[in-house]
Amino acid sequence: MMTLSRIIEILGCEILYCGDEDPEVESVGAADLMSDVLAFGGPGMILVTGLNSPQCVRTASVVGATAVVIIRKRNVPETTIELAKELDMPLVHARMSMYRACGILFNENLGDSLEEGKHID
Amino acid sequence: MRKGNTLTERNVDDLLDKLRGLFADITARDIMIKSVVTLTKDRTMWQAKELMRICKISGVPITDGNSQLEGIVSIEDIIVALEGNHITDPIEKHMTRNLVTFSPEMNLETLIERFNRYRYGRFPVVDSDGKLVGIISKKDIIGAILDKFRLIYVHDNRRREILEQSVDWFDKSLISGDYVEKTSADFVYHIDYTDVDTAGVGSAKLKSYLKTLTDDDTLIRRVSIACYEAEVNVVIHSGSEGYIFAWYDEDVTRVRVEDYGRGIENVEQAMKEGFSTASDHVRELGFGAGMGLPNMRRYSDKMVVVSEAGKGVVLEMHFYRNGRK
Ligand SMILES: Nc1ncnc2c1ncn2[C@@H]1O[C@H](COP(=O)(O)OP(=O)(O)OP(=O)(O)O)[C@@H](O)[C@H]1O
Ligand SMILES: [Mg+2]
Repeated sequence: MMTLSRIIEILGCEILYCGDEDPEVESVGAADLMSDVLAFGGPGMILVTGLNSPQCVRTASVVGATAVVIIRKRNVPETTIELAKELDMPLVHARMSMYRACGILFNENLGDSLEEGKHID
Repeated sequence: MRKGNTLTERNVDDLLDKLRGLFADITARDIMIKSVVTLTKDRTMWQAKELMRICKISGVPITDGNSQLEGIVSIEDIIVALEGNHITDPIEKHMTRNLVTFSPEMNLETLIERFNRYRYGRFPVVDSDGKLVGIISKKDIIGAILDKFRLIYVHDNRRREILEQSVDWFDKSLISGDYVEKTSADFVYHIDYTDVDTAGVGSAKLKSYLKTLTDDDTLIRRVSIACYEAEVNVVIHSGSEGYIFAWYDEDVTRVRVEDYGRGIENVEQAMKEGFSTASDHVRELGFGAGMGLPNMRRYSDKMVVVSEAGKGVVLEMHFYRNGRK
């Protein structure tokens, strides 16, 4: 368990949208294909993804995720940020590779939310 | 079965053959529960009993802490321990060590045969290194069979019936067979396939709408995830506009997603996990894992898909209030 603000700090993220609260994060789900997230994702997870289209925010919202961390992309489209505001889904941008970001989070002992068999409704 | 359809011996043989074929490819690996609750043998029988009570399970595999299987404690062992007044002893003293285990590759026929032969309630699944990889109870076997049957029901019966009758399936409920009054739907959304960024807006609206009707969050979540998958499919694959219709009832929420586009040639294949015709372009948009239809099946209680190449897709899903967890 750690707070979103702490995650933002250790990944050196740029904040694109964040709500008033500083939610607790229990686990991390890393995926570029949204159906993987829809299959196994659930509350308490942050979605770490290389996808920067609005769909990543929409998918996170549908499974009830806590926040979205977009990895590596040069920029994040305005439409994605707009949707994050609309759905009140914290959205941050980490300019590092997926491997590095996941490695850092893994070291913090956060769970793997997409591990098969977990969170299946 | 239709009226007047009597089962002759020949029919039964055919049916059995067909079923055998259907189940032939199911292995222990497909059925087993992978997240097994285990204990080490230095814990007490009392702890095993508590764990079984809390997790509502009838047996706990005992490992050396490194997934190496050493024994099992079953309800029977607990009863014996209670009767003999040694419930506070370490597990090591009372666990069953002579284990019958399954290998992940065993097929369903063998599994059923073992269940009948040994009459235990559950069997650990162990790989060739003696590592515990899962557990299977009778309930899991029945679950796997029912799952498979659901697929037959979806793709064989209803689908053929509907196609053979050649009625316009766009006007009929695929599940109940009744004509659907689309104008009576509690929720209607027109899917615009020209803007990929809007894929999912309809499901989000349905979610907000359901929130005004119920506070059953699990139900809302299941409906919105399944509907989102269906909506995205229309936008990404159909090349046509479509509609989402939903009817909310105390007991069942019904969702119907239809499009008039290129359709699915082989529905059974499309239902398989990992099957996708998505192009690289679609993958860049975050879709194409081939998990959409399997996800819909996973989250809904009943699901029927009817489609033919060039004739669009009609998909109907029912979600019961106390349905899948
Ligand atoms: N509405 C549709 N119109 C035409 N083809 C479809 C439609 N829905 C599904 N399909 C076909 O069925 C296949 C499987 O669909 P499914 O949703 O399971 O996976 P996917 O959409 O390819 O990937 P994912 O859903 O994981 O992003 C698709 O690749 C496509 O060929
Ligand atoms: Mg799909």
